Amino acid sequence: MFKNSPYRFYVKRGAFVLFLLFIVLGNNSLRAQSHTVGQIDIDETALYAMTKQMSQFFSRFNNEEDQFGKKTWPSNPAYRNQEIRKERLPLLFDQQNPRTTGTLRDFFIDDLTKSDSSFLKFTGGRWYSEVSATFIFKGKEVQVILLLMIEKENLGSKWVLTNIYFPTFSKMFPVTKMSDREKSFLHPMSHELDFMNIYKAFKEPEIIEYYASKAFKPDYLSLFFYEVKLGNMKFKNVDKLKFHIFQIDNWYFEVSYFNRSGNNSGWLISNLMYTPENEKENLLMFYQP
Amino acid sequence: MKKIQIILALMIGLFTTVNVQAQDDISPERKQAIDSLALEKVRDLSKYISIIGSKNTAWSEANRVIDRAEELFMQGAEMGVSTLAKPEVDYYKVRQYFERLMRLNYDRVEIEWFKIEYVSDLQRQPDGTYVGVITIFQKFKGYDKEGGLVYEDTTKKDITVYVKRKETQIGGRIIGFWDVLLGDMRVKETSK
Repeated sequence: MFKNSPYRFYVKRGAFVLFLLFIVLGNNSLRAQSHTVGQIDIDETALYAMTKQMSQFFSRFNNEEDQFGKKTWPSNPAYRNQEIRKERLPLLFDQQNPRTTGTLRDFFIDDLTKSDSSFLKFTGGRWYSEVSATFIFKGKEVQVILLLMIEKENLGSKWVLTNIYFPTFSKMFPVTKMSDREKSFLHPMSHELDFMNIYKAFKEPEIIEYYASKAFKPDYLSLFFYEVKLGNMKFKNVDKLKFHIFQIDNWYFEVSYFNRSGNNSGWLISNLMYTPENEKENLLMFYQP
Repeated sequence: MKKIQIILALMIGLFTTVNVQAQDDISPERKQAIDSLALEKVRDLSKYISIIGSKNTAWSEANRVIDRAEELFMQGAEMGVSTLAKPEVDYYKVRQYFERLMRLNYDRVEIEWFKIEYVSDLQRQPDGTYVGVITIFQKFKGYDKEGGLVYEDTTKKDITVYVKRKETQIGGRIIGFWDVLLGDMRVKETSK
């Protein structure tokens, strides 16, 4: 009936909005996604709604797949369609968290769908994995956070370690006041005395870094590798995984996995911050020093 | 018959002579053909898991199916298994995983597969091999002698898929084709 009608688009859109409402409200009438196996009636609605992989998070974020998870391609009018994207994006947020359901989210979605450049790219850089892992450090169980990023190499790409966070290492290099540091130095004529005074630097090992250049920054990844190589730090298991995404101009968001029932599960945005580009540089130093 | 037709169609779709352009990027059509081939392997795996897990399968038959299932995987592939009660990942070699499944201590088991399958984008690793992940869901129920349900879970299985361009000689001509093998599999219990 609507095949050649100018209203065909709106009818289709209306049907799609209805579908979304069903998903959001968890309406059981979405029985098209269920099937019966033996005696069991399996409702698959929640599994369709779940963002099952980060790959799917990217596709949904960019609006590059239909509601059943089937990939769309640039030749399809729905591919990256901003209006459809605007309606779908709220489903990618943790709906049980006030931080990711309020006006900031709406502002973010408005901002995203205004620009044709606000799409995520797998090899586009500025997104990081945070792997919380358990290690045995000198015989004791400890938590270490590993940060990784995708790096291009030869014909493809791979995940590489960029930094780690381990409180024992961080405590070794506390942030100190310049006034404290100013008391500890080797005077500029020390060389004339064959650095006979250098022993003073090593008398207080806890502040040895005061004798380094002001440009010195501890390299925790090297310290970590050192301990691993010595056999002091042994891997036990991965506990948790999340992602930090800085790719979108002026925004930062975090994606975590929600293993729960209902229609808001899987990989979802768990934190969102408006972060002007000039402020990102400092934040990025932690992920990729 | 239908399966043979699908396989034939895939073969025609996937086999191309080597003088075809370099395969730096996979076209949408080719990606769809590769996805179908990978899904065929994953469906075979699902079928094998159901047979191996079934208490009606004879021991010798189960072992034969384990051999077939093992052939779907790359050498060295591992299964990483966790549950809601024990989130730590236990690692098993492919054969070991199937043998454990065969020996599960229930009188009757039901293994059902959800229809949903999700196929990721394919990404290239440094050596040029494409890697993807296929997600499937399984419902497992274990019953005791009296027919009482003693255990049930729904697991999400994320299966690595390796896709590599290979060449073979048929009738003097070098033919290029896409070879699909399964890799590590992460098995995670979903919330009840």
